Amino acid sequence: MKKLILLLVAIGGMSFAASAQDCDALVKECEKILKGKQGNFVSDGQVYTALLDREKAEFKTTFFGGSTYRIACTAGTDDTYVIFTVKDLQGNVLFSNKNYKNSAYWDFKVPKTIPVLVETELDLDKKVTGCAVMMIGFKR
Amino acid sequence: MLLGLVLATTISCGSGNESDKKEIDKEIIDPNSSLNTNFDGKIFSIPSPMQTAMLLQEVNAPFSEDLLNPIENVDGYSSEMQKALNLGVYGTDLGYLSIYKQNSLALQYLSTIEKLTTSLGLEGAFDKNFMSRFEKNSTNKDSMMVIVSDAFKKADNYLKTNDRKTTSALILVGGWIESLYLACQINNENNNEKILERIGEQTETLNSIIEILEAYNKGHKFDELITDMKDLKSYFADIKITYDFVQPKTDRQKKLTILQHRTKVEIETNTLNFINQKINSIRDKITS
Repeated sequence: MKKLILLLVAIGGMSFAASAQDCDALVKECEKILKGKQGNFVSDGQVYTALLDREKAEFKTTFFGGSTYRIACTAGTDDTYVIFTVKDLQGNVLFSNKNYKNSAYWDFKVPKTIPVLVETELDLDKKVTGCAVMMIGFKR
Repeated sequence: MLLGLVLATTISCGSGNESDKKEIDKEIIDPNSSLNTNFDGKIFSIPSPMQTAMLLQEVNAPFSEDLLNPIENVDGYSSEMQKALNLGVYGTDLGYLSIYKQNSLALQYLSTIEKLTTSLGLEGAFDKNFMSRFEKNSTNKDSMMVIVSDAFKKADNYLKTNDRKTTSALILVGGWIESLYLACQINNENNNEKILERIGEQTETLNSIIEILEAYNKGHKFDELITDMKDLKSYFADIKITYDFVQPKTDRQKKLTILQHRTKVEIETNTLNFINQKINSIRDKITS
């Protein structure tokens, strides 16, 4: 029994290490998506990472008026694994990429400042569990 | 069954190729298992302090070196908390200097940042390649913004993947405090409507700052800072913000959504004065 427990702990440790490596590779991919071909988006300096299954990860942020923002996300080589939804704080949906073939990025022109809630989940028809990475940038 | 679950999770965290698709049956995963939780914990987002610096330049606010945290202060920061908070402060100052093309000062602040990052074990993010890119591009403010943001993003990712989320959080908190301090000080001198609005628009970010500090307040190290932030929040509560939702317009081809909402920020002079005093006091505590 002790051996089984040790084996489980070892495999669990390997699993965590594998997930960290997986996330690290995705960070690089997400950077490419954020910058795009023109490279005119500046990162907000943060990397949003989550190991998702059937749960949603969510966070609040503020989009300042007079800026154009890009949200970029990825969860694997197929860039359509992640669904993200942007809502205002009243719960009104401002945008969801699931209406646009789970696009890996979307831009938001923001004339007036707005605090928003960003929800992220995996498209369970394509991927049921794994690391998801998201980045936010603003236009130079 | 547990072994199956662990193996399933190991397989699922593979290299992200085509075989990732539907790699395990949905029912195999136990939704109550701790392995299925979001390993990064709660996710926080603090808008880039660089954007406040950009606004200051857009409204033609004159550059003021006196507002920066003096580089000589760096030698007095001994605890990890002081170092991380002030790395955020100096990072915001570097952004401000870059946007105002204060190249010679920016390089001095860069050296100061390098001292702190070395001390915090973040050499990887602010390595020789970063320093060389910064020096080569020190006349181009757009490139400098990208280089500085990339370095802070690299540091953020390194800290989060190495279970040093507290340090990552403190850098963000320090950066935000400095950006609000700069905005308040420059508004005092220039009384600009756009800067005033931007100050008022920090309410939700301040809520996130308090949440971050509370989430990582192990050993009650941040008690005093949290109390100060809550005092600041009590002044922000007097700011009136009205918001009317209007359906955004989306352009599928351009992958662009244009927001249409209406919002108005009203701050009374008294409230602004209290916010000024409080942010000065908080900033003094962390930088001196």
